[in-house]
Amino acid sequence: MSYKFKQLLFDGLSFVFVAMTAYMWILNPTPEEQIEKMFFYFQMFLGLYVVGIGISYYLSHLGFVTLGSKLFEPAYKKKDHKVVRWYKTFSGWQFLIVLTVLFIVGLIKTKFSVYELLNIDGFQGVIRLFNEITSPNLALLPKAILNIFETIFMAFMATVLAIPFAFVLSFVSAKNVMTGKVGYPIYLLTRTTFNIMRSIEAVLWAIIFSVWVGIGPFAGMLALMIHSIASLAKQYSEMVESVSDGPIEGVMSCGANRLQTVWYGIVPQVILPYVSFTVYRWDINVRMATIVGFVGGGGIGTLLIQYQGQAMWPEVGTIIMVIAIVVWLMDQASAYIREALK
Amino acid sequence: MAEKTKTILSVRNLTKQYPSGVKALKGISLDVKEGEFLVVIGLSGSGKSTFLKCINKLIDATSGEILFYDDQSSNNANAVIDICKVNAVSGVKKIRQKIGMIFQHFNLVPRHSVLSNVLMGKLATTSTLNSLLGHFSDSDRAEAQKYLDLVGIGDKAHIRADQLSGGQQQRVAIARALTQNPKVLLADEPVASLDPATCHVVMDYLKKVNQELGITVVCNLHFLSLVRQYATRVVALKDGQLVFEGSPEEITPEWFEKIYGAGAQQVHIN
Repeated sequence: MSYKFKQLLFDGLSFVFVAMTAYMWILNPTPEEQIEKMFFYFQMFLGLYVVGIGISYYLSHLGFVTLGSKLFEPAYKKKDHKVVRWYKTFSGWQFLIVLTVLFIVGLIKTKFSVYELLNIDGFQGVIRLFNEITSPNLALLPKAILNIFETIFMAFMATVLAIPFAFVLSFVSAKNVMTGKVGYPIYLLTRTTFNIMRSIEAVLWAIIFSVWVGIGPFAGMLALMIHSIASLAKQYSEMVESVSDGPIEGVMSCGANRLQTVWYGIVPQVILPYVSFTVYRWDINVRMATIVGFVGGGGIGTLLIQYQGQAMWPEVGTIIMVIAIVVWLMDQASAYIREALK
Repeated sequence: MAEKTKTILSVRNLTKQYPSGVKALKGISLDVKEGEFLVVIGLSGSGKSTFLKCINKLIDATSGEILFYDDQSSNNANAVIDICKVNAVSGVKKIRQKIGMIFQHFNLVPRHSVLSNVLMGKLATTSTLNSLLGHFSDSDRAEAQKYLDLVGIGDKAHIRADQLSGGQQQRVAIARALTQNPKVLLADEPVASLDPATCHVVMDYLKKVNQELGITVVCNLHFLSLVRQYATRVVALKDGQLVFEGSPEEITPEWFEKIYGAGAQQVHIN
């Protein structure tokens, strides 16, 4: 019955969204009023959610197929439905209405404005900026090159130092390795930790580490390393989960213990994808290292933010040029290496 | 010939129910005699594979017992082990060491060399640290090479395992199992993914292992023609139950129909 539960939650949410949008549109409260009455809106949200769930339940009782049930119902139920054109189905209209309302709310929330986009003053500003950036100040080139080396090695060290941690953790967080009463909780714990670590952006880690070890490339490298450990461990462990069982069974049948089974049954199957992911991670880290530099992580990013703050656009142009060339080269190189590894 | 009548495995009321609710084995009882070439036949899904994997604990049986008469020369009471009751890691390791297995899809480690694959038969007797570093003793290496020579691919020792043909891979798997010095060799559909010609080569090596090394073989097979040629005794499973036990010659067309269902046709491999 769990699909029914998902259906009710989904349909309820789609109802409450449309209903509350309509309410807001009619009363049109100011942002101040909205902040003030947030708790009331929350109560209203819960109330309408219950109503929405009730409606969904009643509709499927009457035999309508709502969008929620269409999404979540199991395959054996899907077989029973005839093929009907979408505009003759309830779920089709539900989808259209929810999507339309989402789009309209999106336009309002992002203050979408065609007028601003076509404003001639703003456009001339961009042209001036563009002209300055495209006439780079080459006197800065040696300094930019020196700094991009810092960035490249930040990314390199972050990747290399992340490998041993990620390698070990990848087996601890793979479902097919961590079985049994002890293993499964460990799997859940490590997976959740990785997801939390990854949801904290490298930029935030850089802020944390710049307080800890001081502003500079070391802080940026540590930030990238933490992020790389979580990302690599997750990608690695997904590889571990998709290995074929045959070699594992074969090694186990020889009387190997758990560690031997992992080493001989799993590692040979995942080692190439691991290398491939790692090369790609270095490539990603070079790009992220630039961003990390914006908040004090060292490297070319720090240099860029200094000149951007002073609106020295020709210098910014030089830096952007150097970054673009390096990122392009890294991208090509990593693509070639990964292709060769297949 | 009195030796041959000794029981090495004694299976009693073995059942296996999978978490999905499927009952693969519904109370199997049979004896495996030392030194015999026992073939298990039956349709796909009759429980043949489950039966074999229960013996070396790749699958844990639900109930019943499998008595393994490990060392019959001594009067030690510990020489009889109920495989179904063994749960400790060391116990499972000991059983797997003495009961080797080969598989339909060979289950070799593809990126390792043939020799390295065969040396995996020594994992149970090598320390974890040494095995992770790939340090195997010279005598282990010599033994691995000896069994590779025995199955006729001694010259392929340093080739990557996935570069070999199917039949050669299965021979590597046999060598791997032999390196364990097992008393029993389980073979789960060893020729089902091989072409008819290679099929006989592999079966001949199993026969050689059985006759020259005296290792008891329990083998799942599809083809009845192979059964007649290689088996010393046959059992048949149908829907998780034992429906036939006897010599290969005793499988008459009537029995064939009973085991495989009415309308089944015999396929011959020559």
